[in-house]
Amino acid sequence: MRRLLVFAVIFTALSVTTARAELYFGGFLQGLYGGRTDDTNPTATEYTASETRLQLRMEHFGDNAEFFGRLDFFYDAAVAPQYDWELREGYAKFRLGSKIDVKVGRQILTWGTGDLIFINDVFAKDYRSFFIGRDDQYLKAPQDAVRMAWYNPIGELSIAWTPRFEPNRLPTGQRLSFYNPMAGGIIGTQAQGMPLEPEAKFDNSEIASRLSRRFGFYTAALYFYRGFYKNPVGFDPNAQAAYYPELNVYGASIRGMLMGGILWLEGGYMHSRDDEDGDNPYVPNSTIEGLFGYEKQIASNLTANLQWQVEYMQDYETFESQQMPGSQYRDELYHLLTSRITKLMMRELLTLSGFIFYSPSDEDLYLRLMAEYKYTDEVILAVGANIFDGEYESTEFGQFQKNDNLYAKITYGF
Amino acid sequence: MRTIKLTLLVLGLTIIAFAYNADAKDASELMKKSHMAYYYAADDGLSEVNMRLINKRGKERVREFTMLRLDESDGGKQMYYTYFKSPSDVARMTFMVHKTPGGNDARWIYVPSVDLVKPISADDKNSSFVGSDFSYEDVSGRHWTEDNHKLLEESTLNGKEVYVIESVPKEDFNAFHKKLTYIDKETLLPMKEEYFDKDGEMTQIMRLEKVETVDGIPTATVRSMENLKKGSKTIVEFNSIDYNLGLKDNLFTERYLKNPPRKYIR
Repeated sequence: MRRLLVFAVIFTALSVTTARAELYFGGFLQGLYGGRTDDTNPTATEYTASETRLQLRMEHFGDNAEFFGRLDFFYDAAVAPQYDWELREGYAKFRLGSKIDVKVGRQILTWGTGDLIFINDVFAKDYRSFFIGRDDQYLKAPQDAVRMAWYNPIGELSIAWTPRFEPNRLPTGQRLSFYNPMAGGIIGTQAQGMPLEPEAKFDNSEIASRLSRRFGFYTAALYFYRGFYKNPVGFDPNAQAAYYPELNVYGASIRGMLMGGILWLEGGYMHSRDDEDGDNPYVPNSTIEGLFGYEKQIASNLTANLQWQVEYMQDYETFESQQMPGSQYRDELYHLLTSRITKLMMRELLTLSGFIFYSPSDEDLYLRLMAEYKYTDEVILAVGANIFDGEYESTEFGQFQKNDNLYAKITYGF
Repeated sequence: MRTIKLTLLVLGLTIIAFAYNADAKDASELMKKSHMAYYYAADDGLSEVNMRLINKRGKERVREFTMLRLDESDGGKQMYYTYFKSPSDVARMTFMVHKTPGGNDARWIYVPSVDLVKPISADDKNSSFVGSDFSYEDVSGRHWTEDNHKLLEESTLNGKEVYVIESVPKEDFNAFHKKLTYIDKETLLPMKEEYFDKDGEMTQIMRLEKVETVDGIPTATVRSMENLKKGSKTIVEFNSIDYNLGLKDNLFTERYLKNPPRKYIR
């Protein structure tokens, strides 16, 4: 119903826009096929992906406003054959005066400095897509939001208001297994009921804001978010179900050029509002997170980056006292190291890339490998692998250790 | 008395004119003027660019984009804005460069499908521009002070009188060891550039295939770059060229990177 409403708004607006208006179309047709490599995976299917997707992109701009729509139709046979569609983006963009830009509707929101590490970017992610080889654009899940950017003497102040909470899309067990603390192990099809979402009311809307400013080669930003953890990391003992605890994030970042490369630093305080004192065993404690990253072109057509993320848990002693003796649980300091390497070959027609997440404290890793070849301007071929490993079943990447998969993808763009 | 004054004036002017002429022939000065004519035409500019990348087997790829340029001062800082139209996988992406001659360039890219603004490390100016035979430096220009120049001869090229200038990088440079530039005496545009490696072998040829007068400014509307070693060639057409649009520098900021200025970009 909401989708239809957005559609209606767009098309009504379309029909009343000003002269000199123009309409542009584009999109792609894509086939993605992938399978797991571990037979012991307790999922419902051996396929991680078996889908054909048609994306239609429509853009319309007049002198005063701009409309954009991106609509996916797909046939997905990985679990059971089904046709479906999703409005990925559908928004109107216009100006209020000369200093305010407004974007209203279904949209992708991103900010922060990390490369696949998110501290102040508390916008919805889609890990179901990310882990099975869908295009990078699918890592971000759309949110129905109103975004305003005010360009003032101090800098750019952006506010994104998402009236209805939009959670991350996490593996459900059907094609990607995951760790379930209630079951005490990695589970597949027997996944429990859906987590409880915050009630749809004004008080539960999400507010994300950023104040950013450029200083020469550097851009600095302050962030504030008020909403909920995007993953169902809380447990409601009364309802016997997982839920999304309340979260505030306060953070800052700086990014810019240093010695021919790009340097970024970001920090944030995750204030777990449902567990102020860190004594509720069912809700995560507040954490302080820091990220350091550097990227540089190290040879012709070869770029590499390194990131180091640290997460400090508050009230760790209380947390520790609540853990079962002998069970595996996180350290007070969580470390995550990542590296991306991208090599362009054959006049940028062939891209080889690798990305690794490795946590020395959780003793787990996630490796993403991809080769992409632009056969023509329209046809792009890609193959890739997602490899997970971990010492324990309960850690962030360790829980996906049975989900190793290979995939192949063909895209026809128009 | 009056005649003497007049004679002195005429004499003075003649001397200045001669001096000016000698100056103009000074190779470095010529390169500077050519650089101004080629890379700093007017105060700002817009063009619809069609880039054809042809490999040695004759297979062709096409890149289409709109390009905006604003000069802070002639020979000084420049800002570039690029909006990609095709192929489909890069359509709607924007790319911005703040170029500081003699300093570091700052580059940003915006990927609209993930709403991502990303600065790009710009260490290697010699890396290819969107996979073409042109490098980033070929697009925005190598500063003339980075090379030592020598006027080799005055000659003709395709019926046009040209200066032939030899340029050798002051510091070791991986893109070329020596370059010959054929500068049109009339328009000062570099009609042809020949690049040589350290063995003296010619590696690349840049040609201005077509020069037209746009708003009174001689403008290269078709350029090509041939890579003799790889057997590849890139042909760039500049269409719908417009100068002195009155572009403001705030257009070359993150705000417009994320929101292409539809007044200029359709």
